[in-house]
Amino acid sequence: MSDAVATRAPTDWKTGAMQQRIRRRYSAERRFRLLGLGAVMLSAGFLVFLLVTMLGNGIKGFTQTEVRLDIDFEKSALFIDPAALRGPSADAALAAADLEGTVRTAASSQYGAAGAGLLSESAWLRVREAVKEDPALLSRRATLWLPAASPIDIAAKGEGAPEAERIHAQLEGRNAVRTGFNWNFLTGSDATDPAAVGIWGAFKGSLLTMLVTLALAFPVGVLSAVYLEEYAPRNGWTDTIEVSINNLAAVPSIIFGLLGLAIFLNVMHLPRSAPLVGGLTLALMTMPVIVIAGRNAIKSVPPSIRDAALGVGASKIQVVFHHVLPLALPGILTGTIIGMARALGETAPLLMIGMRAFIASPPGGVTDPATALPVQIFLWSDEVSRGFVEKTSAAIIVLLVFLLAMNGLAIYLRNKFERRW
Amino acid sequence: MRNPSLSLTAILLLVLGLGLAGWFAARAKARAFARPGETRPHSLPSYHGWYVLLWAVLPALLFLGVWSSVSGGLVMQAVMDSPAAANLPGFEMQRQAIFTEARALADGTKTAAFNPQATALAPVFAEATTRYTIIATVVALLLAFSGGAFAFTRVSPGFRARTKVERLVMAALLIASLIAILTTLGIVASLLFEALRFFSMVSPIEFLFGLNWSPQTAIRADQAGSSGAFGAIPLFWGTIFIGAIIAMIVAIPLGLMSAIFLTQYASATVRRWMKPLLEILAGVPTVVYGYFAALTVAPAVRGFAVALGIPGSSESALAAGLVMGIMIIPFVSSMADDSIAAVPQAMRDGSLALGATSSETIKKVLVPAALPGVVGGVLLAVSRAIGETMIVVMAAGLAANLTINPFESVTTVTTQIVQLLTGDQEFDSPKTLAAFALGLVLFIVTLLLNIVALRVVKKYREAYE
Repeated sequence: MSDAVATRAPTDWKTGAMQQRIRRRYSAERRFRLLGLGAVMLSAGFLVFLLVTMLGNGIKGFTQTEVRLDIDFEKSALFIDPAALRGPSADAALAAADLEGTVRTAASSQYGAAGAGLLSESAWLRVREAVKEDPALLSRRATLWLPAASPIDIAAKGEGAPEAERIHAQLEGRNAVRTGFNWNFLTGSDATDPAAVGIWGAFKGSLLTMLVTLALAFPVGVLSAVYLEEYAPRNGWTDTIEVSINNLAAVPSIIFGLLGLAIFLNVMHLPRSAPLVGGLTLALMTMPVIVIAGRNAIKSVPPSIRDAALGVGASKIQVVFHHVLPLALPGILTGTIIGMARALGETAPLLMIGMRAFIASPPGGVTDPATALPVQIFLWSDEVSRGFVEKTSAAIIVLLVFLLAMNGLAIYLRNKFERRW
Repeated sequence: MRNPSLSLTAILLLVLGLGLAGWFAARAKARAFARPGETRPHSLPSYHGWYVLLWAVLPALLFLGVWSSVSGGLVMQAVMDSPAAANLPGFEMQRQAIFTEARALADGTKTAAFNPQATALAPVFAEATTRYTIIATVVALLLAFSGGAFAFTRVSPGFRARTKVERLVMAALLIASLIAILTTLGIVASLLFEALRFFSMVSPIEFLFGLNWSPQTAIRADQAGSSGAFGAIPLFWGTIFIGAIIAMIVAIPLGLMSAIFLTQYASATVRRWMKPLLEILAGVPTVVYGYFAALTVAPAVRGFAVALGIPGSSESALAAGLVMGIMIIPFVSSMADDSIAAVPQAMRDGSLALGATSSETIKKVLVPAALPGVVGGVLLAVSRAIGETMIVVMAAGLAANLTINPFESVTTVTTQIVQLLTGDQEFDSPKTLAAFALGLVLFIVTLLLNIVALRVVKKYREAYE
């Protein structure tokens, strides 16, 4: 062995072969490094591309094209007593009047035979609101801006069919179109006409679902985290609980949907499509996330706190509820918000329990039929009409903004309140 | 008192009010004990308050819980026994419709009924509802009052109120932690029960090994494609093809290389910014990915296929798999990140000291040492990918093809579950029950993957610690 070492001459790093070898190794190093950088850039690029695509498609969904319509209420065939509009009978009086026909006639007389086709199917609803607000309109000639039909709307945003583009150019020449912010998109509900859809109905459904989820998952999650971390004896039961919580966190969300369908709907006969059932299902899904985050937060509170409290005579329950839990709360809240954000974006379990119906009015309570924001996105993405593309993307923007806000809040809470012991 | 749910809230508030009054009264009584010179009472005054409050509220709440589930039946019974209900139609559906209308009239949610019989029944309904609401209110208040009074009499300096209250808190903690077990049992029971009913109609052998999937059972005998075949192999293949092959081809190299770059090469600032940025990829809702796949990626993939001269369909395995791979990147990269960081620094230093470059150290020392963790992470990512629903529902299609052409449309287990359970469904048909059988398979497979992955990761951790 020592012979072999002795007979070998020391490596001469200056020879051409050695220099070349080092160069090769260094360039391999650079290549590898670039590969890593490329992977990070590519992944980030996907994210940016996704967001830019959604933003580019969706930003137009927040604007709406409106067409000017002059309605001469006095000469129209409407018979509404303006006095009836001031009392509580206003809705009944308006329902009896043929406003839809009036709008159609006015549009035809102003823009020719195809005039009614320029306006959204729900344009007359806007007229109804206007009349209700100002009954004096009925006695004069009024100029109203009404939502345009979907093809015109798309043409105004520069992507329409040639025919619609031509009509839009004509209207523009007559100074009869304008584009404004689409308030209806934020305040309305689902509709068959893409020009009339809004997300408030779905958003309220999501909100109610999240409330039920939070009300169930947070207390149960925190209490079981406290039990497992502070009191549970080391035995078979505790192990079973731990294993089931860890497994539940990894079960695909659609399985929870099947559970909700089989237990809440078919066994307990709770109302179908209701935020109550959606909330229950999502609560079962969110609870393990809260338990795991809660346990980590409780674990990070140093034992000295407990010892000190026990030392001055606190009971075991007092130690946890007066000292450990308040110190662990920021961590628990962070985990809860992240779990809720995940639940807010969840679609599959809600499809299973029937929250995919066409609901044209916002739900009034947790037992009313409702839909949720991600489900609404899914439903709109299935629509054939082209006007829904921008609405779907706009709804996605709203959803992403909320998720970003929730995650931002979680990060803020963590940075502000988390203590390093 | 017209609306029964409203009155329930009112009773609840009354009971809570009583409990609160009990809390203050008991605390005041207990405070009076603490006079100087006498023995110190066992518990703080507020514990006496809580003891009384719990005694006042809990029995009443328990009663109300039971009551709310039986009161509907009691009201119904009273209405059925009334003379107005004597000549109702015998047909169940019609009877239900009349009852629903009468109840709406009685609640005041409706002002006029379509059916005259409902109008006749409405006062009976209202009367019965009011009567039972009054009974419930009286019983609940009596329970609350007597419970509170009993507890109040026990308040004395020597009474161990804190111990009693804490015992209850302990019970609540235990019950909360049992809910996880109940959920697991609920999942297993519901899947197993429905799946067994399915397997009593379709043989498990045919389900697990059959090559033909067309669950649409015939409505007419001459209908095409209505064989009602439940061979799930094409579904399993589609799931594996998209989730475990295409998605992993995207996610493993990108995730692993990102993790290596961020842990070994990037400066602390870059790492601090890029790591959360990549994690956003995992936080984007899957429905957004699905829409992205269907709207942007699928047409591009199809265009690419056409350019290659392969006829591509608008829904392809490749589009769904690519997008799913992007979604999975952060899972792979964070697991790889953790396991690379867990490799002892001495191994890395040793390799560098021998003259290896960073990349040689990574390739020859760090990655092999971290391999079990990386494999565990990949297994977790696969389990996540095959359980993923929205991307494949929106982008993968419904045709149960057994193909290895990534430009063709395949279907997956989750897609079929959604397909079978939405739309018109009749319960008890094998078509609906098949969804639960698929769910059971999915549950078992993801569970096994997770257990194996966690075991691999754990075993490897122990080796270094």
